[in-house]
Amino acid sequence: MSVASAPTERVPGLIPALAGVGLRFPHHQAVIERKPPVAWFEVHTENYMGGGAPLRYLEAIRRDYPLSLHGVGLSLGRVDGLDADHLDRIARLAARIEPGLVSEHLSWSISDGDYLGDLLPLPLTEEALDVVCDNVDRFQQALGRQILVENPSSYLRYRHSTITESEFLVVVARRTGCGTLCDVNNIFVSAENHGWDAVAYLEALPPAEVKELHLAGHTVKQLSDGAVLRIDDHGSAVEPAVWTLFRQAVLRFGARPTMIEWDSNIPPLDVLVEQADQASAILLQPHESRADADAA
Amino acid sequence: MPTLREIQRAVARSIRSPDDGEALRHIADDVIAAADRLDIYRNNAAATLVGALRIAYPAVEKLVGAEFFEGAARIYIERYPPRTAYLNDYGAEFADFLGAFPAAAELTYLPDVARLEWAVSSALNAPDVPALDPSALAGLAASELDRVRFVPHPSVRLLSLHHPADVIWRAVFGGDDAALAAIALTGEPLWLLVHRGREGVAVRRLTQEEARLTAMLCSGSALSEAMPERDSAVFVALLADHLAQGRFAGFETCEPDRERKNERVGKE
Repeated sequence: MSVASAPTERVPGLIPALAGVGLRFPHHQAVIERKPPVAWFEVHTENYMGGGAPLRYLEAIRRDYPLSLHGVGLSLGRVDGLDADHLDRIARLAARIEPGLVSEHLSWSISDGDYLGDLLPLPLTEEALDVVCDNVDRFQQALGRQILVENPSSYLRYRHSTITESEFLVVVARRTGCGTLCDVNNIFVSAENHGWDAVAYLEALPPAEVKELHLAGHTVKQLSDGAVLRIDDHGSAVEPAVWTLFRQAVLRFGARPTMIEWDSNIPPLDVLVEQADQASAILLQPHESRADADAA
Repeated sequence: MPTLREIQRAVARSIRSPDDGEALRHIADDVIAAADRLDIYRNNAAATLVGALRIAYPAVEKLVGAEFFEGAARIYIERYPPRTAYLNDYGAEFADFLGAFPAAAELTYLPDVARLEWAVSSALNAPDVPALDPSALAGLAASELDRVRFVPHPSVRLLSLHHPADVIWRAVFGGDDAALAAIALTGEPLWLLVHRGREGVAVRRLTQEEARLTAMLCSGSALSEAMPERDSAVFVALLADHLAQGRFAGFETCEPDRERKNERVGKE
């Protein structure tokens, strides 16, 4: 099977400060055939760790678009160190695809070697901070590049957390030199679920460290006692309240690569392109961000 | 204060199996009960892992129905949790699990269908490795040819079954209930070769002799060991097919002294 393509045949890998789309299997063919007007695509790293058709599609798409690798399985909050095999799979894929960005989550999903199947929040303690920083260091060393760490959506908090989540991200970035992937929908969901102040969360993140933004839809789950939890299911369009928070994020951080995530009830590609256009329109509005002001 | 490891173990236990209550002691309780909050993760995790098994075993799911499949999958997940987040690798023991699953005992063919599906799924995801170009063998002398050991392509799987899993598999996806009903479950042994070639994954039946030869060729036996009488028509046709279909990734020629007993240079 011949899937090799010389890197020179590819567009440059750098991700522009415009909206991209999360690429899922149902749209592989359409993207190759129609070359939709999307600035870049992001994929789940774990979906392309084998050979065969998925990787062939990804190689073909990479010729026309910059790509970002977004991991969901490394478990940066793992207490017994990162899985060397998994790290190696990511490194090999990164070497092959030459992604513009590589990211993972501030979460854990492996305990005593068993993978649990979801991104779990960490207790926000000094101990967890040391664990995450060690793992991020190892990840960055293995790839020889900066990675981004994303704030998760969460449905529970631990009793003995001592640090706010935004401060935790800031310290991880400061200690390891990693960047922050600010998921605006996740901030909204977690803020609603825990009674946090979403704007204060944004205000706590230094603009220079925020290298990417995420947007997605979520649902509202009614519990039996009438209480509600927001569930980050990536199964619908971005909510108006999240667009509002996104505008505030762009004002604070400046234009940043922004990705539309849609993972369940996946709509036609055109719907995703339209969501990305909405995001790009906001990114392209004239604004003097504090990030730009800081840099000046 | 509990350590991070203690908290993660308690939460992991609670997510994977009925709650022992320890995890709840670590989770903040407010207007929403800690148990309700933990439930969200329990459901998400189960949906992800059941989903991974659904992707690998679509014919099994069609044969037993979605509800039965989910019930079996949840028990499997508890007993055999994944050891990696690379979920294409998850589910290797599902066929054996189904074989020992009392609720599926009457479906004697089910484990063999699962074995075929796992072979297909793992062939689909096998690493990309170029196939051996048959012309690479052209320059070898007869004595060297004897000492050739092939390296199978990483997508090659050889199955030895007792139920016509290939026929069932095709009938299930063809939606052909009449064909499915007509399948005779005689318990006759059969052999299947699964391989990802240029046109995707192919499933081919082998005779017992072809299966024996293929198993030897794919497990590092020298050509002279696999087939002392190399002019057998079956062997020549089989080897030509394996080479043409790209079922080998390469070859090496073993040292003559290691294979002296098999060398028959003088005979030719």
